[in-house]
Amino acid sequence: MRFATLARALSWTPALLVVAIATGCASDAELDTFAPQGPIARELHSRGVLPVFWIAAVVFVGITVAMVWLIWRHRVSSYEGDDEWPAQTHGHVPLEVGWTVGFLVTMAAVAVIMVLSLPTVDATEVNKMKVDIDDRSVEWEPTVVVVGNQWWWEFRYYFGDQVDLADLRAHGDAKTLPPADIVTSGQMMIPTGEEIELIITSRDVIHSFWIPALNGKRDAVPNRFSPWKIEASDPGFYFGQCTEFCGLSHSRMRMQVVALSPPDFQSWVDSTTQDAVEPTDPAALAGLEVFSGICTSCHVIEGVNDDVFERADQASGAAPNLTHFANRSTFAGAIFNTYNADGSLNRIQLEAWLRNPGDLKANYTVPGEQYRGMPDLDLSEQQIDDLVAYLSGLGARPADWIIEATQVE
Amino acid sequence: MAITEKTPLELGPGDTARYAERPLGVFTRPQEGRGWRDWLSTVDHKRIGILYGASAMFFFLVGGVEALLIRLQLAAPEGSVLGADVYNQVYTMHGVTMVFLFIMPLAAAFANYFIPLQIGARDVAFPRLNALSYWIWLSGAIFLNTSWIVGGGGADCGWFCYSTNSGVAFSPSHGVDFYAIGLQILGIASLVSSVNLIVTCLNMRAPGMTLMRMPVLTWMLLITQFLLLFALPVITVALFLLMFDRLFDAQFFNPDAGADPLLWQHLFWIFGHPEVYIIILPAFGVVSEIIPTFSRKPLFGYEFMVFSGIAIGFMGWGVWAHHMFVSGIGPISVAAFSLSTMFIAVPTGVKVLNWLATMWGGKLRFTVAMKFAVATVAMFTIGGLSGVTHSVAPADTQQTDTYYIVAHFHYVIFGGGVLGLFAGLYFWWPKVWGHFLNERLGNWNFWIMLVGFNLTFGPMHILGLQGMSRRIDTYARGYGFEFWNMAATVGSLLIAVSVLIFMWNVVKSKRDAPHLPPPGPDPWDARSLEWSIPSPVPTHNFDTVPQVHGRDEWWHTKYAENDEGQVVRVATTEEAAQTGEATGVHLPSPSFWPLAVAVGLPLIGYGLIFNLWLALVGALLTIASLYSWAMEPVDDPDAAHDHHEEHHEDDDADPDEESDPR
Repeated sequence: MRFATLARALSWTPALLVVAIATGCASDAELDTFAPQGPIARELHSRGVLPVFWIAAVVFVGITVAMVWLIWRHRVSSYEGDDEWPAQTHGHVPLEVGWTVGFLVTMAAVAVIMVLSLPTVDATEVNKMKVDIDDRSVEWEPTVVVVGNQWWWEFRYYFGDQVDLADLRAHGDAKTLPPADIVTSGQMMIPTGEEIELIITSRDVIHSFWIPALNGKRDAVPNRFSPWKIEASDPGFYFGQCTEFCGLSHSRMRMQVVALSPPDFQSWVDSTTQDAVEPTDPAALAGLEVFSGICTSCHVIEGVNDDVFERADQASGAAPNLTHFANRSTFAGAIFNTYNADGSLNRIQLEAWLRNPGDLKANYTVPGEQYRGMPDLDLSEQQIDDLVAYLSGLGARPADWIIEATQVE
Repeated sequence: MAITEKTPLELGPGDTARYAERPLGVFTRPQEGRGWRDWLSTVDHKRIGILYGASAMFFFLVGGVEALLIRLQLAAPEGSVLGADVYNQVYTMHGVTMVFLFIMPLAAAFANYFIPLQIGARDVAFPRLNALSYWIWLSGAIFLNTSWIVGGGGADCGWFCYSTNSGVAFSPSHGVDFYAIGLQILGIASLVSSVNLIVTCLNMRAPGMTLMRMPVLTWMLLITQFLLLFALPVITVALFLLMFDRLFDAQFFNPDAGADPLLWQHLFWIFGHPEVYIIILPAFGVVSEIIPTFSRKPLFGYEFMVFSGIAIGFMGWGVWAHHMFVSGIGPISVAAFSLSTMFIAVPTGVKVLNWLATMWGGKLRFTVAMKFAVATVAMFTIGGLSGVTHSVAPADTQQTDTYYIVAHFHYVIFGGGVLGLFAGLYFWWPKVWGHFLNERLGNWNFWIMLVGFNLTFGPMHILGLQGMSRRIDTYARGYGFEFWNMAATVGSLLIAVSVLIFMWNVVKSKRDAPHLPPPGPDPWDARSLEWSIPSPVPTHNFDTVPQVHGRDEWWHTKYAENDEGQVVRVATTEEAAQTGEATGVHLPSPSFWPLAVAVGLPLIGYGLIFNLWLALVGALLTIASLYSWAMEPVDDPDAAHDHHEEHHEDDDADPDEESDPR
């Protein structure tokens, strides 16, 4: 049967796949786990991932070659008229003990790999950097509290000693965290060359924070504060995706880390620690009015409603802080670009989002129950235009290279 | 114990004094017959095995359609075949269906059918319990799937259903309620069955069948039953808590009330990891029967095979937290569970090499069953090795919850479990049905399934390492996911084609059977006791209970080794096999009560969700049926002294008639 021959040839795909994997097949995949970009991820990759892949590949090749040889060597087409039986070997204890020990030794080697690479993801070096806030220079031990929400990430920067992991673990509550110096979402800015300690938690269900180029992942568990860390060697743009199933729009819960040189990071801190700018042009003023009437029940803008804001109708009790909305090159859980490739505002996307968010990102908005995701607000086209005018003026436009890196096609 | 009617009864024509003292009314035990109603009351382990198998194959199709929907949705970026909400339900129900409604019951089919045959018994220890386990399983399976119709959709929390996403606030439809209650019902079925089969293995073996002479299939199934016995109570506890959280506002998993969501994860995986071995060990057993038969050699290292199976059974309990390496359980726990996970690879690796050593120097005859069996070893090896790669906890932080894991466990569960059980279907089909499955169609089935399987799940390794997250209903362009997702979807369609070929094979083989020579008792020149009796197996299994002298008893009846160590035939199959013509064999009587008990359970389930009065009705039905079961006479006094086959002609008619108090 000719088909069977073809099929037999095709059944070699697994072997080819392993070869493809071992040689690092992925090229321009933004989330590629085989393309580490920071010291932690690099060490994890070279000490934890690659050695065990090689061991597995060798064992795989050994077993497969043996099996193919056996099949080729001992194959008969039929027992018809064949009364001769092969030697009836019931076993061979030394041999069997031998390969039991062989596997034990192999796995012991894997165990050594594990023990050696385990500290790479977990240990925290104590490092400090200087950051200027409001004309004051502080020693910052880079820490960012990362909070998962359905379906977006919040990043809270504390430059003083407002938070402490042990304290948070003892009596912290993700829904009532102390006020932070910077609250942003979707896109996390970090300085290069610094190990950033993350404290990961969640306000609703379990999420998982993962920037493959910078480190492995860590779950965001409600009622738990888990330490994690990332570090980027060079300025750059690193993508992430929530990896723990978190309900309806799990697939559309993404995140980005932007690594900036320390001076760039300082100027980002300078601009984002400011309250929102007061709009001047009439459309933006009208937009502020719409915001204060409608959006204000869930979203916070520092200097506008932070003093009166209580709690969002969201199941998580929170919605993204919009104070520096235009400073981020992404919105809606890091799924849409705020700017087009040419640097102009991505007005079409922003308007579509305000028109009916549920069309673009599955949500749950049954009246009388807590919202999950941004509800359809029934805005008029005029209100949408005004809001776009207002929001696009909140914060400085990010650098061109950031806008460019945000475009994934 | 039975309530009997003592007054003289009117005798029917041809009846003698046998109705002089009859159990009253519904407590009469029905008799074995051949009509469809007899399938409802059967306690014959073979019929129950067939029921399990047929129902499992039905749910294989259901789970398969769900799988195809998943693959269609993911074929291209920004897929819109299902939408997020339905996708989450479909992928959840795909997992639940394939695990609980396909592989477990298909393995149960093999266990029910072949454990008694392989140990030389005439039935299981508790025949009515056996029927009960099947009917409860079926009622749970139907209950679970009715959530599509009456529950506002299937469960949408993943088969692992992590807290807090499983709470009412985050999953407001009744899907998760059906999940929580449905799995409890299915758990009762597995528990009942495991107790029954453990007792059967330990107490019902033929004389001389010591434990270390039991065929390896029976051994692996026995270990599986112990795993079920200890694993299911744990998940039942978790499901019970979840049910109370959802239906009665308990706070077991509410973090706002101080709960730790990891509690659910520990409970789930203490069940969930042994579950992996519950799925794979039966397939290991099947492979261990088929490879020796078609290598013309005994299994290499029987003791190592048995003890490595036992070792897996034990060590399987100490690795659960490797599902939680990134959950924040702390570095010490991570290191400990990482180590234990690595060392469970040792007994598994030993098994693989022992299978290869069995083939070594043999005469390998590649029937379809043998092809499936060898493919099982090859594909499971890939799944096992990818498992080793993420047993290294730091590496796992990159791989967990990506498609790499999806690839890994499909190589284990599909490549190991499903291919293994398909090997078993081709191998034992003639024993069960008295005719072969068509080998030519079987070859098409095998090759298309193998290629389709590798094309579906092989690329998922790459997708996962490229960072494609699990359980996402769609993905964006530009992340390098397009090509391999399309390949996987094409592969899944090939698997669908191969399953259709299998179904066609079942029909065609049955249709062709009358024109082909019957397979006889021992078509493969095999080794264990089930091949010493006619095909299909007579109701009473063995004419005389065999005396067992060693391992591979049936093979040693046919063959011996001469002084030079050469194998010589000492008896033909015809001479040695039993004829199936024994009469007067005492067999357990059928009963309708297991079915009645099972009907009550889903009523309780619906009642808990929709209206507690209905739960009361279900509970009353179950309790009343259990009492009636207890009041039933142990046996139909009439059936004892007659050969069952001869009963059929006159009693076939109507079991209801039998229940009439005359």
